[in-house]
Amino acid sequence: MLAAIYALIACGYVLVYRVSRVLNLAHGELMMLGAYALMLTAAQFTTYWPAAIAAAVGLSLLTGVLVYLFLMRKMTGEMVLAAVLTTVALGILLRGVMVLVWSAQQQYPAQALGVANTSIALPGGARISFFSALLILTTLLVYGALLSFLRFGRWGIRMRAAGQSPLLAAQRGINLHAVYALAWGLSTLTGALAGILIALDSGLDQTMAIIGLKAFPAALVGGLDSLVGALAGSLIVASAEVLLIHYVDPLLSEVVPFLVLIAMLVVRPWGLFGTREELDRV
Amino acid sequence: MSEPLLSVDKLEVVYQRAITAVQGITLSAQQGQIVGILGTNGAGKTTLLRAISGFHGTDDARVTEGTIRFKGRRIENIEPHRIARSGIALVPEREKVFPNLTVAENLLVPAAPGLVLAERKRQEAQVLQFFPKLEELHARTAGLLSGGERQMLAIAAALVAKPELLLVDELSLGLAPVVVEDLAARLVQIRRELGITVLLVEQSAAVALEIADYSYVLENGRIVLDGDRARLTNHPDIQEFYLGQSSGKRRSYRDVKQYRRSRRWYG
Amino acid sequence: MSRRPRASGYFRTGYAQDLKLVETRTERWSLSAFLMALLAFPFFASPFQLDLANQVFLASIGALALMLLTGYAGQISLGHAGLLAAGAFTAGILFKEMNAPVWVTLPAATIAGALLGVVFGLPSLRLRGLYLAVSTLALHFLVVYLGGEYEARRGFSTGIVIDAPKLGGWTISGGRTWYFILGAFAGATLLLCLNLLRSGTGRAWAAIHAKETVAEALGIGVAAHKLLAFVISSALTALAGALFAYYRGFVSVEAFSLFLTIQYVAMIIIGGMGSLLGAILGAVFVTLFPYAIEAAIGALPGAQRYAGSLFAVNYAAFGVVMILFLVLEPLGLVGVWKRIQTYFLLWPFKHRPMPGSRR
Ligand SMILES: Nc1ncnc2c1ncn2[C@@H]1O[C@H](COP(=O)(O)OP(=O)(O)O)[C@@H](O)[C@H]1O
Ligand SMILES: [Mg+2]
Repeated sequence: MLAAIYALIACGYVLVYRVSRVLNLAHGELMMLGAYALMLTAAQFTTYWPAAIAAAVGLSLLTGVLVYLFLMRKMTGEMVLAAVLTTVALGILLRGVMVLVWSAQQQYPAQALGVANTSIALPGGARISFFSALLILTTLLVYGALLSFLRFGRWGIRMRAAGQSPLLAAQRGINLHAVYALAWGLSTLTGALAGILIALDSGLDQTMAIIGLKAFPAALVGGLDSLVGALAGSLIVASAEVLLIHYVDPLLSEVVPFLVLIAMLVVRPWGLFGTREELDRV
Repeated sequence: MSEPLLSVDKLEVVYQRAITAVQGITLSAQQGQIVGILGTNGAGKTTLLRAISGFHGTDDARVTEGTIRFKGRRIENIEPHRIARSGIALVPEREKVFPNLTVAENLLVPAAPGLVLAERKRQEAQVLQFFPKLEELHARTAGLLSGGERQMLAIAAALVAKPELLLVDELSLGLAPVVVEDLAARLVQIRRELGITVLLVEQSAAVALEIADYSYVLENGRIVLDGDRARLTNHPDIQEFYLGQSSGKRRSYRDVKQYRRSRRWYG
Repeated sequence: MSRRPRASGYFRTGYAQDLKLVETRTERWSLSAFLMALLAFPFFASPFQLDLANQVFLASIGALALMLLTGYAGQISLGHAGLLAAGAFTAGILFKEMNAPVWVTLPAATIAGALLGVVFGLPSLRLRGLYLAVSTLALHFLVVYLGGEYEARRGFSTGIVIDAPKLGGWTISGGRTWYFILGAFAGATLLLCLNLLRSGTGRAWAAIHAKETVAEALGIGVAAHKLLAFVISSALTALAGALFAYYRGFVSVEAFSLFLTIQYVAMIIIGGMGSLLGAILGAVFVTLFPYAIEAAIGALPGAQRYAGSLFAVNYAAFGVVMILFLVLEPLGLVGVWKRIQTYFLLWPFKHRPMPGSRR
């Protein structure tokens, strides 16, 4: 379950990083924004909850594209650090605005939509809530779609090409802005999906951004430019977290992902499935 | 003569709003010609090609004066992908292939609007005819190719989008003479079979003069000399400074410098 | 800091002149005037203003340390809050557990910072850029976790209270006393940085910043110099952390969130990368910013309505300012300052002549 959450969030980091070499540290906040967008759409589509979710996800896609067009586009060609800090600043801004608009209180979009989070019995006696199941399913679907898109689709290959050498890609007739905007849009979309489903499952408040930040080590452990890596990294980080919390100390929850990350960086800095060359090239 | 495919008129390019790299260049290329651009390091050859193929934001460069016309349309200062789509393909000097993609994937990258899939496949097959070696290497990661193979891949990738004008920056850079000769022969063949116009930038005058129909010599961002093969190969300056055949008259370095400076001015 | 020639010409005729920190008479005059003003300030300022000034001094030490590391040696670090926390906790724990006096705890905090600097710096030997930033971020979480663990284990769930420091028989307290002490520390840090940067170490950092492999090829010990940058920067930061702990009389992990790191990074960005003056300007700006916002909102009609969400407004405004600086003025406040300077120097001309651009 935790692994699915992390994986769904982590692929957002990977998407943006892979294409534009920018680490989007506002991902947690964008994901939270997606969840709050659900509160908005919930008011519109009270009767039919999938419509509300779809509308919120669509809004998020749009948000991602707009963030690129109005903010990150200005940062192309700047230092990577500056670009990363811009995302940090964006995160701070979003967080402030979200508190202003929706207040810091815990909210339950599931109630607003009038859906019951029934639990489903699994074979083997375990039980899982409806939205958790939905989340796991979504993660699998998203990964399946993204992987085939990037591997086989022409646009996928172009996204990879743009990530490696933007200049050459442009000279080969690729519209970089379109590719980047697409990456941001997709990334925000997947993030929002995660945010929405978590919110439906367990409510929504300001701590959600922290989950977003914790998913980021998962992306790094797997290798920042690899989707398969993000999946594997999420599994590792999530199981480490569950085990350590269970057997050692519940306070560790916030630290575990980063502990795993340090271990990983010492042994294999480019991650499980990442590409090595960009780390150290003369 | 009919209207040239590419015509550059009094072009001036400025980097970072301060450094003028190209000043008042005028040149043109007819349909189906191979046009050579000669010049030493820093003469502004790459800058000229980038001006034609479109600057990228990170270059911080602009065409500040003059015009570039391709098929009659002005193309200065528009985005590289739009220029590429209008039929100009560049084989860059340094980063010429996507190192983490395979050879086959590299050939898939170029966007070619207006080409239906079947047509594109045909184009790809035709391009690969010129470079049969790439077919064997199709699953290899491009970053692992040798210099010559990389150059072949770059040219092939430039051609799959079916351009009308091919810009080649330093065909011979870092390659062995045999390989260069081979590549030059391919270029001639490509021009003949596809009817493409080629703008070939070279430091090595021997290579360029051999295959170019018409050549321009660039120095310090200006054109100092131009002419067809016969005129340039027999020109004393070209013989002395680019082909290394000393006429035996001017010996001291100072004389040479003096001489070069005087030449520069009537360009 | 004025290491560049004046617009009117380059008048240095010997190396001794090149080494001087203060060059022209005007510069000497304005510097002395500024120092006098600094010295006189506490005798006119209100306690609130004094507190602000003290916070600026503390922030300046931290910002200078970070500037050394990131702006000059080119090593990105997102572990700054962790280092501040380490300094503060070293002081706090030594005080609580052994009742250690201030002349023990401050050096101890500095040494702890230096040691941590080695730990933070080790990844830099293998990692670069983003990956390095992330590894320091990870260490930040680790340090803060350990601090929190200590608080929890020893039952100081709300934080550690530290008594005002005593030196001999003299107790340090009161805004004005602190003003001079913190000011002295900040001044000393500035001088240290200035001199470090003029030395071979500074040049080695510049070389590493520009291109590591080339620096290595030029015979610069890249690994050693990187570590040194981390050690010096971390030691200074931890010292600032310890001073902070004494100044506030209180240590708690809550104070050392990721947001603090972001604030420090914002200082060097907003101030202007690669400039010590920038670090100080940035420290002033970022420290005073929330108070300015508060004042601005207080002045607005209907202030009551926003009072509860002041912190959110602050957050949002801070984000906006950071974005504006990053997008519009990558050179930061120093860049603005330089532009104004150049404008008046060159007036009525618009551009500096480019050397060799026209014959
Ligand atoms: N990105 C750039 N920024 C500033 N100046 C540049 C840049 N690229 C090239 N130049 C300058 O423009 C001039 C011409 O360079 P270039 O066109 O690369 O020469 P060539 O390709 O003929 O060797 C050189 O003086 C070079 O220093
Ligand atoms: Mg060149």
